[in-house]
Amino acid sequence: MNKKINLNLKGYSYAIKKNGILFIFILLCILLSIITPGFLSWTNILNILRQGSIVGIIAIGTTFVIIGGGFDISVGSLLALTAAMSVGLQQYMHWGFAILLVLIVGALVGMLNGILAAKIHIPPIIATLGTMTILRGLVYLYTGGYPLYVDSPNFSFIGNGYIGIIPLPVIIFIILVIFWQFILIRTRFGRYACALGGNKEAVRLSGINVDLYHILTFVVGGLMASMSGVVYASRLLSVTPLAGQGYELDAIASTVIGGTSVAGGEGSVVRTLVGVLLLTIIANVFNLLGVHIYVQYVIKGAIILSAVGFDTYSKFRE
Amino acid sequence: MGENGAGKSTLIKLLVGAYQRDSGEIYFSNQKVEFDSPAQAFQSGISVIYQENSLIPQLTVIQNIFLGMESFTPLGLINEGKIYREYLDISKKLDFKLPPYEEVRNLGVAEQKLVEILKALIHKAKFIIMDEPTASLSENEIEHLFRIISELKSNHVSVLYITHILGEVFRIADRITVLRDGKKIKTVFTKDVNRDEVIAMMVGENLKDTYLSELVRIKKGQQPVLKVENLYRKPRVNGISFEAFPGEVLGITGLTGAGKTELSRLIFGADKLKEGLILINNKPVRIRSPLDAVKNGISMIPEDRKKDALILILELYKNITLPTLAQFSGKGILLTAKEFDVTQYFIKKLDIKTSGVSQVIRYLSGGNQQKVAISKWLQTEPRVLIMDEPTQGIDVKAKVEIHTIVRNLAKSGVCVIFVSSEVSEVVKVSDRILVLSQGKISGEFKHGVSQEEIMRTILQEDK
Repeated sequence: MNKKINLNLKGYSYAIKKNGILFIFILLCILLSIITPGFLSWTNILNILRQGSIVGIIAIGTTFVIIGGGFDISVGSLLALTAAMSVGLQQYMHWGFAILLVLIVGALVGMLNGILAAKIHIPPIIATLGTMTILRGLVYLYTGGYPLYVDSPNFSFIGNGYIGIIPLPVIIFIILVIFWQFILIRTRFGRYACALGGNKEAVRLSGINVDLYHILTFVVGGLMASMSGVVYASRLLSVTPLAGQGYELDAIASTVIGGTSVAGGEGSVVRTLVGVLLLTIIANVFNLLGVHIYVQYVIKGAIILSAVGFDTYSKFRE
Repeated sequence: MGENGAGKSTLIKLLVGAYQRDSGEIYFSNQKVEFDSPAQAFQSGISVIYQENSLIPQLTVIQNIFLGMESFTPLGLINEGKIYREYLDISKKLDFKLPPYEEVRNLGVAEQKLVEILKALIHKAKFIIMDEPTASLSENEIEHLFRIISELKSNHVSVLYITHILGEVFRIADRITVLRDGKKIKTVFTKDVNRDEVIAMMVGENLKDTYLSELVRIKKGQQPVLKVENLYRKPRVNGISFEAFPGEVLGITGLTGAGKTELSRLIFGADKLKEGLILINNKPVRIRSPLDAVKNGISMIPEDRKKDALILILELYKNITLPTLAQFSGKGILLTAKEFDVTQYFIKKLDIKTSGVSQVIRYLSGGNQQKVAISKWLQTEPRVLIMDEPTQGIDVKAKVEIHTIVRNLAKSGVCVIFVSSEVSEVVKVSDRILVLSQGKISGEFKHGVSQEEIMRTILQEDK
């Protein structure tokens, strides 16, 4: 009898642990909707979603990388390069081809990161520190240090258009979340990614090509960063060499706040979406309250540490 | 002394407080003691030297020996001079030479053992427990270690020496205590007994029970499903050749460090083969990774369940379908319902105790985790299944269940290679038994061989 109760308790605390972020999110929303009457209006919700979509799309890829036991801090710089390219390449080709080319570049950079980590065995954070620096250098070389501009109404539609009342970036973000969540839980690649982050050696000894799947998680990371680069360029129609700085950190923060384990093996794209929204809303509210941006950094850091600390410490206690 | 599984290591862990004992009392220097942790035992003067060493490889000999016992100058700096003088004293007393400022990782295994012993002495150890200290030592190194043990004796330090190597016991022990099945059989003075008497004490009498109702007879002219020729991967595998037939359980046994695990990993492609040939159904195959092995119908259940076989944070069904996930994928989408069905089938077939298919396997017991690992590989329908120490660390009942599973597998035509250092179980479940010593096959036996005979072959090499 006692045993049964214990088991139930275990399951209960597990549920809280797994979905704690969701509770916090809902609580915050209720609180804000009471304080700020217009908070739950469609316009405001869509606004928040649109603000979150650029980092959010990156964070989808980051979620895959971290679930697979890796880490990728090069995605902010990759966003800058791919955004600059999708603007610059339009001098030579149709914007559609430019986008295609940019996505291929993103996937290839992701593959490079994956190879450095899985095959050359550089710790992922160091490998992507290297590619981050290289990519930022390439951005400066490509732009010559000046902002690039483009004037293309069709291209601009991606970042600024609406379908009905919903901004297109939001639609792209939501579709990508659903698509990759499906890949994560319903395909072999998704299953292997989780298994890999859980215990790479056991997966290898199960007769699975671990390096391939490990690299693929990074490819998703690169692909999503370049996708985000396209949306970014199309929204602003200009790209400065400093674009996307710090976005990798926001993406990682959203992912871990969403409950993806930093040790790998556990996580969800949908919960990353919640993490993105949470960070965006908090930034919004701070802006409304007039909290200085410097103070916002301090608070954001504290939130990240609490989210990760909760995860790692409860694992340690087990 | 005692066989693997006799309870030697558990006893040590109880002594120093690494495990909690159910009942009983411990007296040290005529005082009742109660240790909560090995650290506490260490401070009271009981020191354990494990098979794997516990030194910090990047630190020097002196730094390791005096770790936590450094003398300081009044300014709080480490008093190198005083430490060095202390070191000279003790090296003179024990009569040995070690390079004091060499990093430990550059030393040989025997020298590292010596550093551990010195560390124990500097920490005022009065009682040193050595758990199979010679497992990775060469003959010369063993000689050296034994000289030091004699020195320890003359310096009034007691040594509890754990081993299953007979030769060693007769060379250095004053008294021998034999354990079997978690009980003390007898304590005798070494001078009063001979080797055969000790073996008899280790093995016991009840040898006749067996799982085999019908023995698998290898027919004349039957082709081996697996054949290996001259496998090499030094230092642990030094030229091994054998054949294994469909429907037989081939037992492989030997001491810790004899090369059993290394051999298993080689055949499965977990480690790279340096030299040699692997043939499946008389055709040479190239196995460069576990992936190649699985394609050729070879599967392996690794020795270290938690590290190599299972993904503890994932659910039961995800672990079971991992190697065969392609079978559960229709048009690229996973058929989870089918995964549940198969998992349910194995839960029933192998009697896995779990709250359901979605139970996270971290919460299962060792025996049940082992059954998950077995299920996972049965899914692949292997022609050759290598099981490396499949009953390690699981309770007696689960052990018997696993033996039954092994026999049933063989009956269904699978070739099971049953690797275990526990001679008693190898004798029970195997149709044929190979004994490994120092990376070579030192004996082959048929079912019905006595445990004593195998023990003799195992121990022979260590005169």
